[in-house]
Amino acid sequence: MSQFTQQVILGLLLGGVYVAVALGFSLVWGILNIVNLAHGALVIIGAYITWVLFTRLHIDPFLSLPVDALALFVIGYALQRGVINRVIRAPLLFTFLLTFGINLVIVSLLLLIFTGDFRSVTPAYSGSGLHLGSIVIPYIRLGGLAAALLLAGILWVVLNRTRSGTAILAVGADRDAAQLVGVDLRHMYALTFAIGAAFAGVAGGIISTFQSITPTAGDPYTLQAFVVVILGGLGRVSATVAGGLAFGLIEVLGQSAPGLSSSYANAIAFVVLVVVLVVRPRGLLGRLA
Amino acid sequence: MSVRRATYLVAGLALAFLVLAPLTSIDAAQQAGLPLLTDKLWFRIATTVAMFVVMASAWNIIGGLTGYASFGNVAFFGLGAYTAGVVVTNLNLPFALALVLAPLVAAAFAVIVGIPLLRLRGHYFAVATLGVGVAVGEVVNNIEPLGAATGLFLPIIRSDLLFFYLMLGAALLAVLTTWVILRTRFGYGLLAIRENEEAAAVIGVNTTFYKVAAFCIAAALTGIAGAIFAQWNSFINQDNAFAISDNVQMILMAVIGGTGTVLGPVAGAISLELIIQTLAGGGSGSVFSQIGLGVLLAVCVIFIPRGVIDFFGGRSRLSLRYFRQTLRETSV
Amino acid sequence: MSLLAIRDVSKRFGGVNALAGVTFEVEQGDILGIIGPNGAGKTTLLNCISGLYRPDAGDIRWETTSIRGLAPYRIARLGIGRTFQIVRPFPSMTVRENTAMGALFGRPGARLQPGAALNEADMVLDVVGLGEKRHYPVLRLTVPDRKRLEVARALAMRPRLLLLDEVMAGLNQVEIEQALEMVRRVRDSGVTIVLIEHVMKVIVGVCRRALVLNFGRTLVEGPPAEVLKDRRVIEAYLGQRYARDQEK
Repeated sequence: MSQFTQQVILGLLLGGVYVAVALGFSLVWGILNIVNLAHGALVIIGAYITWVLFTRLHIDPFLSLPVDALALFVIGYALQRGVINRVIRAPLLFTFLLTFGINLVIVSLLLLIFTGDFRSVTPAYSGSGLHLGSIVIPYIRLGGLAAALLLAGILWVVLNRTRSGTAILAVGADRDAAQLVGVDLRHMYALTFAIGAAFAGVAGGIISTFQSITPTAGDPYTLQAFVVVILGGLGRVSATVAGGLAFGLIEVLGQSAPGLSSSYANAIAFVVLVVVLVVRPRGLLGRLA
Repeated sequence: MSVRRATYLVAGLALAFLVLAPLTSIDAAQQAGLPLLTDKLWFRIATTVAMFVVMASAWNIIGGLTGYASFGNVAFFGLGAYTAGVVVTNLNLPFALALVLAPLVAAAFAVIVGIPLLRLRGHYFAVATLGVGVAVGEVVNNIEPLGAATGLFLPIIRSDLLFFYLMLGAALLAVLTTWVILRTRFGYGLLAIRENEEAAAVIGVNTTFYKVAAFCIAAALTGIAGAIFAQWNSFINQDNAFAISDNVQMILMAVIGGTGTVLGPVAGAISLELIIQTLAGGGSGSVFSQIGLGVLLAVCVIFIPRGVIDFFGGRSRLSLRYFRQTLRETSV
Repeated sequence: MSLLAIRDVSKRFGGVNALAGVTFEVEQGDILGIIGPNGAGKTTLLNCISGLYRPDAGDIRWETTSIRGLAPYRIARLGIGRTFQIVRPFPSMTVRENTAMGALFGRPGARLQPGAALNEADMVLDVVGLGEKRHYPVLRLTVPDRKRLEVARALAMRPRLLLLDEVMAGLNQVEIEQALEMVRRVRDSGVTIVLIEHVMKVIVGVCRRALVLNFGRTLVEGPPAEVLKDRRVIEAYLGQRYARDQEK
C-alpha cells in the first residue's frame, strides 16, 4: 500500500515537470496555432544555462530559474519575430517543418558548444528528501512541483489580469478582429512565443536538477508536452495543470507495471496519446480535428 | 524559367548521371573530371538518392495525394529494415525472402495504426504519427533478439552494383505505383479526400478504406527501401532505421518537388539529397550537415509555401519579386 | 411505401437539442421544402440523412430498409445525393472534373472509369447551365456558379433523391429565378427533391409541400401557401407581437 502511495506521490511530482514543460507549449499552440517541435530544444537551453550558472558561479539551480526565463524570453521573441512570423499564414505542414528545422539547428549548436557529454546539476540537497513513515519525497522534486505550480499561477495572472494577456487571448480568439481593434500582431505573436519559450526555459532549469542533460535530452519532452495538452485540453491553464499531473501519474504507474521500464517513456506517451485521441477523436476540446 | 521546371531539369540531368555513372569505371569518372568522386562514394550517394526517391514518392501517396501529412513513415522504413535483419540474421534465410516479407510487415502495421490514426486530422494526425515513429523505434530498442540498444548486424554482401540497382528498382516501382494510382478511380478518390473529405464521403467515396489503402501502399514501398537499406548497410539500430529526420527529409523532398505529382518527389529527392550530401562533405562533420539541413528547412519553408500552390499551375517564376510576394502572403 | 421516411429523429450537441423528434415522409417524385429560422436544425437534419451525423434516436428509412448510422458513402450509393450550404468543391480540379467525381463514385451499379465519368459530367453540366465553363478551375467560378456546381456534382451521381441545402442563399432576384428554373428541370427529369431554404418565397415557387422546422421540431406541414399563412410560422420568424398585429 505504501508502495502504491509512494508511486502516486512520485507520479504527481513528475507531473509537475510535465506541467512546467507543457504550459509554454500549450500557450503557443492555442494562440499561434503552432505545434512547436523546437519546444524540447528550448527546454534544454534552459537546462544548460542552469548548469553553466551552477558549475561556474555556484548559483543554486532554483535561483537560476529567472535567468533561464529571461534568456529564453529574448531568444523566443527573436525567433518568432525574425523567423516563424514569416510562415504563420502558411499551411500547417510548413510551420511543422520549420520548427523541426529550428530544433535541428539548436540541438546541433548545443552539441558544438557543450559536446554530447552528460551534464548534471547536483546541489548539496539533491540526495535528501522528506521522510514520512516509509514514504520518501525528494526535496528536488518537491521544489520542481512547487516551481511548476507557481509558473501556472503566473501564466494565469498574466493572461487574465494584464493588458498584454488580454491582447494575447484576443489574438488567439480571432486574429483579424484583434488586428482591427489595434493589436500589433507581429509584436503579440512574438510576445506569446517569448512567454512560451521563457516557460520552457524554466522547465529546463527544473529538469536539470534531477536528470542528466545532453543536447538531445529535450526531444522526448516535445511529444510529452503534446500528450499533456491532449489529455487536459487546449487553451486553459488549469487544463494544462490537470493534464500534466495526470500524465505524470500515468507514466510512473505505467513504468512500474510488469515488463515495462523507464526506457519505454515515449512508447507509454504515445499509447496514452492514441487512446485519448481514439476515445475522443476530436481531441478533448475538439478545437482542430 | 519556373522553379519547378528548373528543379526538373537539374534533377533530370542528375538522374541520368546517377544511373549511368556507376556503369563506368573509376577511370571514366576521373577522366570526366570528377576527381573528388571515387567509385565507392559515388555508389553510396547514388544509392542513398534512390532510397530517398522511394521514401519521398511513398510519402507523396499518403501526404501528397491523400493530404495526410504523416510524420511516422520512418516507422515503416525501420520495420522493413528490422524484418530484413530478422530474416537474414536471426533466421538465416535468404535476403530475397526479406524483400517479400518487409513490405507485408510494414503494410500490416499500417493497417493496425492507420485505422485509428487516419480519423485524426491536422496537428493531431501529424503528432500522433510522429509518436508512432518514436515509439516503434523505442520498443525495437528494448527487444533483446533484435539486438536492443546495440543494434543488429547483417552478414555483409559486397556488391555496390547490386544494392544500387535494387534501390533503383524500388524507386522505379514507387514512381510507377504513383503513376498508376493517378490514372485510376482509386487515385481520384484519394484526391477527393485531400480536397474535401466530407464532400468526398457524400458523393460515395469510401474514405476510411481509401485512406488506409493509401497508407498501406506507402508503408509497403517504404518497407522495401528499409529492407534494402538494412542489407546494404549491414548494420541497423534505432538511430539509423527510425530517424525522425529521415521522415522530415522525405516530406521536404516531396514538398519542394511538388506534392501530388508523379515526378515531383523524384526531382525533390534528387536535388535535396545532393545538396545534403554536399553539405555533409561526403560523410564528415555530421553536426554541420545537421545545421545545414535545419537552415535549408527554414529557407525552403519560408520561400516555398506560395510555390506549392503555383506548382500546380507551373506559374511561379524564380525572381526576387516572387520571393518578396511569397513572404508577404504567408507572414504577418 | 414512401421513398424516404424520417421517424422521430433526434440529435443533441452538448446540451443543445438540434433535432428533437422530427417526423416526415417523402414520396417518390415529390418536391418537399423544409424551411425554418436560423438554427432550427435544417442542416443537422440533412447531415443525419446523408450519414455525416448519426442520429441519437429515431429511424431513417430508405424504401424498406433503415439507413440510420450507415456510412455516408453507402448512403450516397443508395441514390441519395446532396449539396452543401457552404459549397465544398474540390479546389484543385476543374468544373468538369469536380462533376465527374460524382459519376465516378456515386453510382449504385456498374463502376465508371474516369473517361466515361468525364463524358457524363458534360451532360450534367449542360443541365445546370455550366456547360460553357466546364474547363474553368473551380476557384474562378462566381458564387451562383459554385452553387450550380454543387448541384451538378450531386446530379452526376444519378440520385433518386436530391437534398439541396440552401442553394438559393446569397443569390439576387435574377439568380434565384435561374436557380428555380434549374430545380424545376431536375424535378422534371424524375428526381425526388428535398429543398432546404431560409427564404420562404423560394419554397412557394417550386414545392408541392412545405415543412417548417423550429427548435428542432416540426412546427407545421402542408401546402406552401397555407403554411406561410399559419400564425405559428409567422411567430417563429417574426415574433409573437408581429403575429398579433397581423391578425388585427
